[in-house]
Amino acid sequence: MRLEKCWFCSSTVYPGHGIQFVRNDAKIFRFCRSKCHKNFKMKRNPRKVKWTKAYRRLHGKDMTQDATFEFERKRNRPERYDRNLTENTLKAIKTIDKVRSRREETHHKNRMKGKAAKERKEARKEHDQQIHMLVAPGAQDKHLSATKVTVKVQHESNDENRMEE
Amino acid sequence: MATNSASNLFHVGRSLLRGLSSSSSGMLRSPQETTFNSFLAQQVRTFIQMRTNLKVVDNSGAKRVMCIQALKGKKGARLGDTIVASVKEAQPGGKVKKGQVVCGVVVRAAMPKGCSDGSEVKFDDNSVVLVNKQGEPIGTRVFGPVPHELRKKKHVKILSLAQHMA
Repeated sequence: MRLEKCWFCSSTVYPGHGIQFVRNDAKIFRFCRSKCHKNFKMKRNPRKVKWTKAYRRLHGKDMTQDATFEFERKRNRPERYDRNLTENTLKAIKTIDKVRSRREETHHKNRMKGKAAKERKEARKEHDQQIHMLVAPGAQDKHLSATKVTVKVQHESNDENRMEE
Repeated sequence: MATNSASNLFHVGRSLLRGLSSSSSGMLRSPQETTFNSFLAQQVRTFIQMRTNLKVVDNSGAKRVMCIQALKGKKGARLGDTIVASVKEAQPGGKVKKGQVVCGVVVRAAMPKGCSDGSEVKFDDNSVVLVNKQGEPIGTRVFGPVPHELRKKKHVKILSLAQHMA
């Protein structure tokens, strides 16, 4: 039993899943599900398709080089069965997985490092430029409009003028 | 596998109907289907039945062969089955001549073959290795990849001649 990698999306293909396509030049393409298979038939390049691991590694979204990847290299020589070895391997897989996910998190954090500051700066710039679109904070206050301000209007005596017209 | 066989039944029914209406039922894609399909080339991968053209991948002399009968199998032959075929195209100085009736073993089939572990294998084309009645290959070399499934069908000689094993 061997866990293969999908040729298109690089996810693991477990036994009983997926389709294996053998080309006439004896190159084998393994696919984890029909989505990857159909994309392959459409002749799409996985390095250009955003959700694949190939794209993410190429564009620096995911870790490329790390010591934890060395443990998953393909070994062609079968190991003699040893119970202790199997037990230790299973334990090691768990810890390696933990270490790798921790390192991936730091990679992600480094990638997103200046994001909050950048967003704040852009928000401030927008605020300064588009201030006229905003309503002043005090303009809508209820208690100011409630008090009526009476203004006395002075009427001029126009009786004499009217007679002349 | 149940859904696979059901869809295959549908496809075979469709291809048989097409065979009744048009002359060549072995052709996988009719002009009607190409207009419905886009450029994605979603071909209907079915069994190898009467009138299916197969490529010959050994050096027995034949180039192209047309299936006359699929021994074993109501719907047709699959990967690893034997067929009776008629030689349509042959090289001038070979062991078989054009028009000869030969037996062959299907070594590459475009239809996916289910493995016992649940996965499926499929190849790029339909290919055959010519064989005599006892099951021994007529040619001395086999070209291209060959599946593991032949071992179970006791075609060990073909496997030993093969370059690659899929």
